[in-house]
Amino acid sequence: MPHMPRRPPPLSLDMPGAGESRRTFLVRGLAGGALLVLGSAGWLLTRKTRLPPEAFGSLRVFSPEEAAVLAAIAERLVPERPGFPRPGVLRLASRMDEVAAMAHPATQVELRRLVRLFESALGGLLLDGQARVFTTSTPAQQDRRLGSWAQSRLPLRRTGYRALKRLVYASYYAAPETWAAIGYAGPPLEIPAAGGGGR
Amino acid sequence: MAESQPARIVTGRDVTTDVDVRADVCVVGSGPGGAVMAARLADRGARVVVLEEGGFHPPGSVPLSEAVAYPRLYQEHGQRATSDLALTILQGRAVGGSSTVNWTTSFRTPDRVLTHWRERYGLVGFTTEALLPHFMAVEERLEVHEQPEDGVNANNRVLYDGAERLGWDRARTRRNVQGCQSLGYCGMSCPIGARRSADQTYVPDALARGAQLYANARVVKLVREGHRFTEVVAEALDPATDQPTGRMIRVRPKVLVLSGGAINTPALLLRSGIDLAGKVGTRTFLHPVAAMIGRHRQRIEGYYGAPQSVSSHHFAERGPGKVGFFMEAAPVHPVLAATALGGFGARHEELMSALPYVSALIALAVDGFLPSEDGGTVSLRSDGRVRIDYPIPPEVWEALREGAKALARVHLAAGAEVVHSLHEEPIEIRNEMDVAKLDRARWEPGRLALFTAHQMGGCAMGADPERSVTTPELRLQAHENAFVVDGSVLPTSLGVNPQLTIFALAHWAAEHVAAAVR
Repeated sequence: MPHMPRRPPPLSLDMPGAGESRRTFLVRGLAGGALLVLGSAGWLLTRKTRLPPEAFGSLRVFSPEEAAVLAAIAERLVPERPGFPRPGVLRLASRMDEVAAMAHPATQVELRRLVRLFESALGGLLLDGQARVFTTSTPAQQDRRLGSWAQSRLPLRRTGYRALKRLVYASYYAAPETWAAIGYAGPPLEIPAAGGGGR
Repeated sequence: MAESQPARIVTGRDVTTDVDVRADVCVVGSGPGGAVMAARLADRGARVVVLEEGGFHPPGSVPLSEAVAYPRLYQEHGQRATSDLALTILQGRAVGGSSTVNWTTSFRTPDRVLTHWRERYGLVGFTTEALLPHFMAVEERLEVHEQPEDGVNANNRVLYDGAERLGWDRARTRRNVQGCQSLGYCGMSCPIGARRSADQTYVPDALARGAQLYANARVVKLVREGHRFTEVVAEALDPATDQPTGRMIRVRPKVLVLSGGAINTPALLLRSGIDLAGKVGTRTFLHPVAAMIGRHRQRIEGYYGAPQSVSSHHFAERGPGKVGFFMEAAPVHPVLAATALGGFGARHEELMSALPYVSALIALAVDGFLPSEDGGTVSLRSDGRVRIDYPIPPEVWEALREGAKALARVHLAAGAEVVHSLHEEPIEIRNEMDVAKLDRARWEPGRLALFTAHQMGGCAMGADPERSVTTPELRLQAHENAFVVDGSVLPTSLGVNPQLTIFALAHWAAEHVAAAVR
């Protein structure tokens, strides 16, 4: 079992699957390329983004438009249900911004690109047949877009979906305000956040 | 400076001017490998300087909150994952390394693994007998003992009872705790200091013998002259922001010990231009984990109580051509659960609202034993970030699928009303007939949540220089004064939780490193 030379790692966010025909791979490659180009197109993709009435406060990573997209995603990931605080009430977009601020600057760039791509009407048209930005779509349309990313044949979109889902749910359920809804009584010991001299 | 300062941990806040120290040994990393090495060498009179990228968090200093603990105590602020996000990577980053946040499960290296290493990698010295005194020594220091029966929480009880009803092997595990109150927050560092982690044992031992430890000290470069390492360059990080303060710490050692773990040690070597013909950062093994959750009539409260106290190795060896798996339990704190569960919207809320009634069990694939397995790779992106790739081979997918089926049966045997996979479209299992649904499910990257809490390989030890990064004595190949002492030297995965193996391996290796310090 000799040591194989290092394989060149696959392109960022892309991952060829096993056992696919050349044709599907090519199709996917093209779509993947389109995704990256779209994601790089910058402000154009969020030009029509609907901003919520409330301000987001000072954001460190995301633009207000990008924060609005994340807030809209959170509204659908955690739809209204008795006992579950609304993401807006928790100012979840700001919390997500704080989480993103801990990431490497290059990861922040990727994340912003992902959010803009998810929002974009052109991306929606190409990928889901929906030529609307996410934030102005109906809840049913929004759920369809989320579902199509979640279950996409393109690994790149599934990766993107997982990143968004992780960001929303980690931020939401880290908030003690959500714990009553899920019957979690919290930790048995209270330690103040500034406790000790650690870190 | 090394001679004049009292023994204590120096944090990034304390480093107000550039530091330049000589040492007999510089140890990079203070987890199980680095802490034991520092203590053993300091005990022999060596001047030891330890550089640790993570912070120093004494017991009771970290709130039992996922929002604080994960960013503060885990690699990449809790966001480490494979490049395709298919596997979430749980790995500690603190004084004490992953031993400060793991679930305290303590196993010796299985005999069959040592046999495989001797036969396949020429590690002839790795016999059960040779390692026994080292396991015994670290087990005594870490106070490793079997979890008493009344310390098994309801979540682990599901595995214990379910496996028993199926006629499968299972046992209570040994843990490195003393005075454990079964709070259930091991993953957020023990608030009462009951865990006998590296920071509570070998780190204080090392300091008492005069070793110096710099926390918040990120090593950025290893400097060489010819085949000798001459300098280790670290930047001090602000403990509050984790950003560089601009102060540098330079250590000029006679001998270098790399103990940054199976991802950061290969990354540091690559960053320093050392890839040993492309071998550094290859053959990374992760014990890829699939989980299944069960919902019960009664409360389980899987977030309370010792997170792991039962293990089943019934399927650890599944015959030629098969990847084995072992089964354990996992805690279900809200963030961990919410990011793992499948679906979104009402369906996700439905699953989350049942959290107190949920049991969570995991199947860990024993990767790295098939001749066809290459494992994963650690590489560097052009922007300096570490990149981890782990293309899951068909044999590991098969093990994860069969592991999920076994877990479903355990849950059902223990009385779960319904069992869910962590697929984005959760597979729902209510009886034995339903288990076959898992055969029809899609086992592909990004279609279900997968994890790794055990990182191994990347700097494999071995007798053949063509196939290894370190010698059987853990010397870095092609260099005169460097050793690698952490999980990265393991040539395969272990089939058991790795911390005790790494503690014992370091205890054993101290003899070899001490001989190199003249």
